[in-house]
Amino acid sequence: MQSTELAIDRRALLRSAILLVGGSMAGLPGEAFAQGKKLTKARFFTPAQYSVLDETAEIIIPKTDTPGARAAGVPSIIDDLMANWASAERGANFRALMDDIDRRALAAGGASLRALPPARRLEFVRAYDAEKIGAKDPVYSRLKELVLTTYYLSEAGATQELRYELVPGKWEAWTTIGPDARAWAV
Amino acid sequence: MTFDAIVVGSGMSGGWAAKELAEKGLKTLVIERGGHLEHGADYTDSLSPWELENYGLVKEAEAAEHYGIQSQCYAFSTATKHLWVKDSEHPYTTPEGRPFMWIRGYHLGGRSIMWARQSYRLSDMDFQSNARDGHGSDWPVRYEDMAPWYDHVEQFAGISGSREGLPQLPDGQFLPPMDLTGAEKDFKQKLEAAYPTRRLIIGRCAHLTEAKPHHEELGRIACQYRSLCERGCSYGSYFSSLSATLPAAQRTGNLTIVTDSIVHSVIYDPKTGKASGVRVIDAKTKQGRTYEGKVVFLCASAIPTAQIMLNSKSEAFPNGIANRSDAVGRYLMDHLSGMGASGTYPGFEQNYHSGRRPNGFYIPRYRNVTEPTEGLLRGYGFQGGVMRDNWRRGLGQAGVGPEFKASLRKPGPWRIHLSGFGEMLPRPDNRVTLHPTRTDKWGMPIVHIDVSLGDNERRMVEQVGADAKEMLERAGATGVSVRKHYGGAGLGIHEMGTAHMGKDPTKSVLNKYNQAHDVPNLFITDGACMASGGCQNPSLSYMAMSARGAHYAVQFLREGVI
Ligand SMILES: Cc1cc2nc3c(=O)[nH]c(=O)nc-3n(C[C@H](O)[C@H](O)[C@H](O)COP(=O)(O)OP(=O)(O)OC[C@H]3O[C@@H](n4cnc5c(N)ncnc54)[C@H](O)[C@@H]3O)c2cc1C
Ligand code: SF4
Repeated sequence: MQSTELAIDRRALLRSAILLVGGSMAGLPGEAFAQGKKLTKARFFTPAQYSVLDETAEIIIPKTDTPGARAAGVPSIIDDLMANWASAERGANFRALMDDIDRRALAAGGASLRALPPARRLEFVRAYDAEKIGAKDPVYSRLKELVLTTYYLSEAGATQELRYELVPGKWEAWTTIGPDARAWAV
Repeated sequence: MTFDAIVVGSGMSGGWAAKELAEKGLKTLVIERGGHLEHGADYTDSLSPWELENYGLVKEAEAAEHYGIQSQCYAFSTATKHLWVKDSEHPYTTPEGRPFMWIRGYHLGGRSIMWARQSYRLSDMDFQSNARDGHGSDWPVRYEDMAPWYDHVEQFAGISGSREGLPQLPDGQFLPPMDLTGAEKDFKQKLEAAYPTRRLIIGRCAHLTEAKPHHEELGRIACQYRSLCERGCSYGSYFSSLSATLPAAQRTGNLTIVTDSIVHSVIYDPKTGKASGVRVIDAKTKQGRTYEGKVVFLCASAIPTAQIMLNSKSEAFPNGIANRSDAVGRYLMDHLSGMGASGTYPGFEQNYHSGRRPNGFYIPRYRNVTEPTEGLLRGYGFQGGVMRDNWRRGLGQAGVGPEFKASLRKPGPWRIHLSGFGEMLPRPDNRVTLHPTRTDKWGMPIVHIDVSLGDNERRMVEQVGADAKEMLERAGATGVSVRKHYGGAGLGIHEMGTAHMGKDPTKSVLNKYNQAHDVPNLFITDGACMASGGCQNPSLSYMAMSARGAHYAVQFLREGVI
């Protein structure tokens, strides 16, 4: 695993090289600046919890004509966030949330979330979501926020499902759009 | 080491002082307590959202332990974390029940890197306000003294805006304005019809909507509408010390910069009656050293400038240098902020916007300008925008599956928001003092900040929320929610007034040249100098004060008066 400092140094070097030759930064592959990929990692969630997260995220944002949450990497990003961002309390709450979803699926459908038939799975998560959002449940609301944020700001979410430009170049204050126009991710 | 001029701080005001002094031929030393920040290389503006560490989220435990105050600023993220102080390393105290959120960054360029770039002139009403209602000291300058200096700094910095002919918000030397969205134009028309005394204009901001040759010479290019500005802009498209003033100072050959050097105090020479230099603590080694200069500019920003002055004790100045008035540290002001309203702006489904405008609209002050208001002094302005919502509208919304995804694929409704910025009265009890016992890890006495709201401020907080709601409703916005809650002192991030200008040396600290009444070669041109705050974002005024103060300092040096 590369340290952040090294990543920044590399970025700085690259950038100053570009600026030296008078070029613009636009059009450079994102990978050149991205952080080093982690080689090995232990998951934050247990396999059972991770599978609930994976399934729930994909049900919230499924694969359609564009990638869904799973293909965009949302479950593993959220797992990373739990390890690298969340406080101990939040981590515990999220683990409990995954357990709760599974338990409720079992109670409602006689099987864990993964074992339910797809239509029942969707139905169950829709009802669970409506109940928790309706009650403004802070833990579930935060999970949903993380699912949406990491999906729509992922490369697939931002550039395939929605539209994103790193360097728009100009500001057009009033454009005309058709009924199929996609929103800007940011 | 001896220099012609010493400038303490390299932020918005220090950069300007350094540029002007160096361009006028003075061997100038800038002393910055923070580390070096490299224009371009230390910015994160090349990163797409998915490349940010933790999608921008700073580790919760780290934020709580080290950034309890800074993390309250909207611009705090993993992309900017290196630009904020660690609160755990830079403590200060406040009285029980009166928090002050001091948002700051210690590095070369100061907060000119993270600022939101809104740039407005004060008007003659502002320079006369203290004289008129008796709060604070009468300004020793009037708008006509400042106007040429506003021209000067606007031309160099590059301020985009529209000419409007408003007496409370004078026009300037503007680059082309950014466009309002059609929905904003619609709101403007409805607002101005409903309230003939109010106006809506495009925000004035320190962005190069067009790069002039003198901007290009410094490597600055036109704004590319990315709105990544608080991460630093490698294009130099917005004004900062690193994009503009320090490179301009550097090319004169007269500039020396030392970083990681904490100014501890100003040295007073009783024989000459002048400041002879400054004492510095090395931030890394904690060793002390001194620098000598013929003139000293304090530009460390309002609170640290007061801290340095109060800490500069001598036989002649037992309460801190140039503080015979006992006004140093007093009259601390911020802008009331955090109040406003938002709602849905119906219609215009066929329209959208493209690019990210790093700016919004502005509703200049009308209270006690075009609308005399019983029981309320001074006034407030609003920043705002009308833009289409995106997927974020899904956050608090129930829904899952293909329909949910399909609905969030489309642009959401137009959303309107207004955020008020209100003037605080200058009050002597709102003050910064040195803590009687506690010092920081460099041995410098920490500050104690005591700010509370007066009756006028409390009324204003209520009125701003009420006005925002009414304006949105009368323009047809739906689902209007109001923020009457005042975010808290400090969160306006416009601290000022702690060494204010005035006519009377027994009541104020600086004269009309930003020169200390008591110490003729000591100049203070950061926000500390402000005798009142207006409701406009203040940095443009600090820039103008710095350029103007430098002009007079050089003149007085040449004339041999200081
Ligand atoms: C997120 C954000 C948004 C903002 N938006 C706007 C806006 O839209 N419009 C506007 O007008 N203003 C805005 N501001 C405020 C603006 O940034 C400040 O008004 C301005 O930077 C103040 O200039 P300054 O030179 O006084 O202080 P700073 O820019 O803070 O610079 C002070 C410098 O002095 C250094 N220093 C401090 N103490 C010492 C010491 N003892 N020795 C040596 N060096 C020292 C600091 O490290 C720093 O580099 C915003 C600020 C923030 C953070
Ligand atoms: S919006 Fe303009 S100033 Fe801001 S980061 Fe982009 S190019 Fe730079």
